Amino acid sequence: MSSITEFLEKEKPSGYTGKMLKELSKLNEELNAFNNIADSLGSGMPFSVKDNICVKGIETTASSRMLEGYIPAFNATVVQRMLDSGFSFIGKTNMDEFGFGSFGLNSTKPARNPFDVRYVAGGSSSGAAVATSILKYHVAIAESTGGSISTPAAFCGVVGFTPTYGALSRYGLIDYANSLDKIGIMARHADDVRSVFDKVRGADAKDTTSIEGEYRREVSKKIILPDQLTKGIDEDVESGFARLVEKLEGMGYKTVHRSIPFIDKAIPAYYTIAMAEASTNLARYSGFKYGYRNEDFTQHYNQFFTNARERFGLEAKRRIVLGTFVRSASVRDEYYSKALKVRRLLIKELGKALQDGFILSPVMPIKVPTFEEVKELTALENYKMDVMTIPPNLCGLPHVSFPYAYHKGMPLAAQLVAGHWGDHAVLGIVEEWERHFDYKFKYNIGEL
Amino acid sequence: MRIGLEIHVALPTRSKLFCSCRTDASEPNTAICPTCTGMPGSKPTLNRNALAISVSIANALKCRVPESTSFARKVYFYPDLPKNFQITQKDEPVGAAGEITIESGKRIGIRRVQLEEDPAKVIRQDDYTLIDFNRSGVPLVEIVTEPEIGNEEELRMFITELKSILYYLGIDIDRELKVDLNISVSGSRVEVKNVTGMKNLLDAARYEVQRQEKLVKAKQGVVQETRSYVEKDMKTAPSREKESDEEYGFIFDPDLASYKTTGIRIAKPVYASKIAKEYSKRYGVKDSALRELIMFNSGNLALIDSAKDRHGMKALITAVELLQRYASKKADPSVFERVVEIVEKGAYPDKEMMLRIEAGKSVEVHAGASDEEIDNEIKRLIGENSKLLKELGKNPKAFNFVVGAVIKKYKSNPRAVSERLERILKELE
Repeated sequence: MSSITEFLEKEKPSGYTGKMLKELSKLNEELNAFNNIADSLGSGMPFSVKDNICVKGIETTASSRMLEGYIPAFNATVVQRMLDSGFSFIGKTNMDEFGFGSFGLNSTKPARNPFDVRYVAGGSSSGAAVATSILKYHVAIAESTGGSISTPAAFCGVVGFTPTYGALSRYGLIDYANSLDKIGIMARHADDVRSVFDKVRGADAKDTTSIEGEYRREVSKKIILPDQLTKGIDEDVESGFARLVEKLEGMGYKTVHRSIPFIDKAIPAYYTIAMAEASTNLARYSGFKYGYRNEDFTQHYNQFFTNARERFGLEAKRRIVLGTFVRSASVRDEYYSKALKVRRLLIKELGKALQDGFILSPVMPIKVPTFEEVKELTALENYKMDVMTIPPNLCGLPHVSFPYAYHKGMPLAAQLVAGHWGDHAVLGIVEEWERHFDYKFKYNIGEL
Repeated sequence: MRIGLEIHVALPTRSKLFCSCRTDASEPNTAICPTCTGMPGSKPTLNRNALAISVSIANALKCRVPESTSFARKVYFYPDLPKNFQITQKDEPVGAAGEITIESGKRIGIRRVQLEEDPAKVIRQDDYTLIDFNRSGVPLVEIVTEPEIGNEEELRMFITELKSILYYLGIDIDRELKVDLNISVSGSRVEVKNVTGMKNLLDAARYEVQRQEKLVKAKQGVVQETRSYVEKDMKTAPSREKESDEEYGFIFDPDLASYKTTGIRIAKPVYASKIAKEYSKRYGVKDSALRELIMFNSGNLALIDSAKDRHGMKALITAVELLQRYASKKADPSVFERVVEIVEKGAYPDKEMMLRIEAGKSVEVHAGASDEEIDNEIKRLIGENSKLLKELGKNPKAFNFVVGAVIKKYKSNPRAVSERLERILKELE
């Protein structure tokens, strides 16, 4: 039975939601999962919304100081569809500013890992993963551009699903990189993800890139292992992953090792496109209509903009500068246009590889890192950590991250990728896996 | 001298280019929504009607229309752009490599036709500025010419021709005409930005040409720069360059798709000036008289075309002129037919008669005066007044006095009387 049905069927003691919200607020002070928590809650299954997705009347900041006080006048399509399906809004979840980050640290109050607060929660949908890991009955609406669902879901031990690009409307999503942004779902079980996905997916007239997909539901038993991506990864991750592969083989899956052309070019192509688009999306936060309002109108034109844009975080500034550079007329062909070409090639190659199977890999080349370990990474080392999450994100392929073991109390997770519109198929494999696996959670707020 | 133009024309759609806000609101900031004010989280969706009109324009300007067309983001920081980027077209505009043939017969190349959103309206006051977002997102078509316009006269002809072609597509160029002028007298190109309206366009061009010619004459050289037109002084002045092409940093707009142009219904273009030229040759009438009637009047063209196989072109022109002057409502073909028949009998109906025809009442038609009778009357009037003869050659009032007097007597066609009087004056010279 899905936990959604379970929640709706169970009798709630009086004062249940009040007590639950109080407990959540208290724990949130320690873990920073939520940027804001609702004052009251309806009787539906609770759902949280990543803070870059608009909820009418609720402050939506994408964890950026530039958007402090932005209260959308409309609901994102996904939010509206959740409300229409009877879910109850519980709050906005923390994230890396505008989605820029893999560890959740690019936020004024970084989220902490619920298993052990010395560890990061992952990013950029850090709060969504933490919320899913601490609330017994809850689903999270998150968003991924280059791995922002897989990574935090992996670090917090929950199921993180990123659908095919275009499956869910992006209307109401504060853009990072529009051709890469995908709204997705986190939950404690794959069947909850599937149930939510089927309620919110489908074409939306307000988002031109959303469509009603031709879903492929048949589950193939072939698993492709892309050895190029797993070279030189952490030993514990490597040995844990090898045991997972063995178990899957025991369940009747056939594994093949395959090298995929151009996959090593995915990271540069991704960051080039993502930064180029991000630098145009962030242009609107200039202190005129949106962004920090700089009231000193005596300043010179360029000085005014420079000062108004001071409140962006370091990573946002880095992406604006790099993104503006790669689309400048004199270098556009060398960077931006070339990256588009690489994406087209890789979509073709991955499409071929995924015709009759799934790609399986760890989610990150490292175990869940501590705050200290992440702070020592340079920007480039940081970007390189996305080596396994970027290919499916760059190509808009559906993928799901799920925990398969625990190592010294922290989760180890893997990522399954399917061809376009194989969304139900990847979730199906995780559902099958769940029959052989016991999830562990440190908190179960709202347990009945 | 070489003049090139970038002309922005507002399209006659009911809603904006990327949202469903109205385009005709007058109260400031009442036709706005999350999309046209660039609210974080909003997304654009394309107005298909605007796309169809822009493709019809490209087709009418004889452009190559690509199979699919897409949009691009052009980034610059200005208060009239809520997103600080404009959604326009870059690599796949709706049209490229077209041309317009102007009245003199010269062809002016059209480099590209692109569909884009209008920025908001900036209203500058003494110590503050107001912004009206009603205009933000209104569909515009930008028409870029090759720098092949050679002088002010060609510029006027070009605009007239373009205006007529657009008129027949249902677009009123005067609703919002914004032009960037590129003028080069000596080789260095000066761009005059944001000239609004036809009068300002001609004034700005004239001023800038003279300014550059003076500099060249004085061997001072022309600086390659961007200038703006200062309407109250009728001058151009150097202006701040916003951003350069390098900095616009065009990228494909990822919120919009690639749109097929193949299924679009393209409006059939009408080239009124070409029709005027053809008819004038074929029927031996004045090109200018026809142009006057049909360049900006599709009703007149329809009337003439409906009857040109049965009646003489001269009579048709006269009949259309009469209807234009006296008819109280849009002429129906049967009324037109009666007027033509009456004119062909040599009569020239006055207002009273025209209203009777329109009302379907009977009229008494007398054949008009012969050329000889008209000539005699003119000569009689001139002979009576020697002062009048002196005035006739130089004073249009005297000329019109004579024509008027003859018309009053014989109810003749003014054009016929004018022609007779001109001929007599020539003989007297």
